[in-house]
Amino acid sequence: MSTSVEQVTGAARRGPGSGEVAAFRNVSKDFGAVRAVNDISLTLYPGETVAFLGPNGAGKSTSIDMLLGLREPSSGSVSLFGGTPRQAILDGRVGVMLQSGGLMPDVKVRELIRFACEIHPRGYDVDEVLRTAGITELADRMVDKLSGGQEQRVRFALATAGDSDLIVLDEPTTGMDVSARQAFWAVMRAQADAGRTVLFATHYLEEADSIADRVLVVHRGRLIADGTAAEIKARAGLRKISFDLHPAEGPDLSLLNTIPGVGSLDISGHTVRINSNDADAAVAAIYRAGFYPRGLEVSGVGLEQAFITITGEQDAADLSDLSDRSDPAKENAR
Amino acid sequence: MSTLVKLEILRVLRNRRYLIFTIVMPVGLYLLMVSAYSGVDTLGGVSVKAYFMVSMATLGTVSASMNTNATRIALERKSGWARQLRLTALPGYGYVVAKIAATAASTLPAIVITFAVGHAEGVKLSAGTWLTLALVLWVGGFVFAALGVALGYSAGPDSLQPIVMIVYMALLMLGGTYFQFTGSMANVAKWTPMALYNQLGRVAQTGSSVSSGEIAAVAAYAAAFGALAAFLYRRDRKEA
Repeated sequence: MSTSVEQVTGAARRGPGSGEVAAFRNVSKDFGAVRAVNDISLTLYPGETVAFLGPNGAGKSTSIDMLLGLREPSSGSVSLFGGTPRQAILDGRVGVMLQSGGLMPDVKVRELIRFACEIHPRGYDVDEVLRTAGITELADRMVDKLSGGQEQRVRFALATAGDSDLIVLDEPTTGMDVSARQAFWAVMRAQADAGRTVLFATHYLEEADSIADRVLVVHRGRLIADGTAAEIKARAGLRKISFDLHPAEGPDLSLLNTIPGVGSLDISGHTVRINSNDADAAVAAIYRAGFYPRGLEVSGVGLEQAFITITGEQDAADLSDLSDRSDPAKENAR
Repeated sequence: MSTLVKLEILRVLRNRRYLIFTIVMPVGLYLLMVSAYSGVDTLGGVSVKAYFMVSMATLGTVSASMNTNATRIALERKSGWARQLRLTALPGYGYVVAKIAATAASTLPAIVITFAVGHAEGVKLSAGTWLTLALVLWVGGFVFAALGVALGYSAGPDSLQPIVMIVYMALLMLGGTYFQFTGSMANVAKWTPMALYNQLGRVAQTGSSVSSGEIAAVAAYAAAFGALAAFLYRRDRKEA
């Protein structure tokens, strides 16, 4: 990196709030003929809680590996706090909980966490870290004897052993039951409230929906959406229509298939559920066709449905655009 | 860094595999070999009891590097712990340094215990010679610690198991741990790493001089294993 660039980013970092935590600039990563990450550009800002969403194999883990300097991009550049990822890690600015983060065996939980606290340039007191992660009662247990959910909490303690500015969590709640998951996010929220930037990869969409204030969606190596959960849901433009039909009334149910703007139709018993990208037209058409819906409800869809819709749109776009040159930035602006 | 070294030492001492391969097995084999060779007085220029005392102490140090350390590194690469460490402020080489330090710390008690048993069996050496001998065996162990690190980075834990077995057995067989070759085979065997290691141990006892060829060979093995370990370690980090 040239001196002038370093000066610029260094100055940016000094201004509180104005700096960037992490930046991907046209980052791609190829494994042989497979393009795992395709021209991703994005910037993370201080204090954000960002969810990183995508189906398995979408490029989430590869992107996180590059963010942390575990892999080098094939092209483009990655910076963390204005410098290299490695430097940011050496400076103790990043706490990381990896999905496949094995733990050191043959040691007690307290011994392992104490090591993490001591190695961190601004490490916390070990008892405090154990308490925050809710594992004080596990302190004298051997690491090899923990359950999956307990291991996750120990990994979380490793990620929060010191005063880091960015916390990166790759699928943090995998293997936790519902109550453990809720407890985990309560602790995580406290981290975000303390002003830390949090980036977490997940495929639990309700987690992204309720916790993140920014959602990144990757699909087939590309960043196809970047915004708040509400924006992404709105972008998908979908509404859910549900109602009951009395079997003795109205025309034949097959007529529902002719209703305009219907994305999916599900009839079970008397209940009809429709996903529509034009709910107003669909409801009008339902009445016009002579149906008499009872208990009609029109509501927005969850992030999950929005996610399926926009990744599906992307697949369709990929098929129609075989040259594969669509610009993710333009995609985001839509 | 020193915290990691302490933790690694603690782990080795808690590990049953270490206890068996580095202490119980060499001591047990020593008593066995001494009784098996009860009709023989000297071997390789020293008494049978002193010969096997050295070769069982070296067996212990090499076992610590090969059976314990190499296996550990392979397992921790697979589990992702080695990767997790790369996301701490620990310097990049810290992991390997801690592993080698822990191995070295754990071989010292193995050497001392084997010596104590040898002494009880009637091996008589001057205080200075005991000390020199212990030092030579301990320092020589670093050559095999480097080999252990190289093996640990050479393959995953499953395929490593047979590799370690073969290398380990070859080292011991050619190295004169259980018996000495005679005839033309002896000329080849004496240049293998373990044979040189044992030879250094005998020289430390008898005070006879070491040939420059032997010194050069030991240095060459140290350099080769070290370079191999460094190369495989870097390859591993590139693969992430």
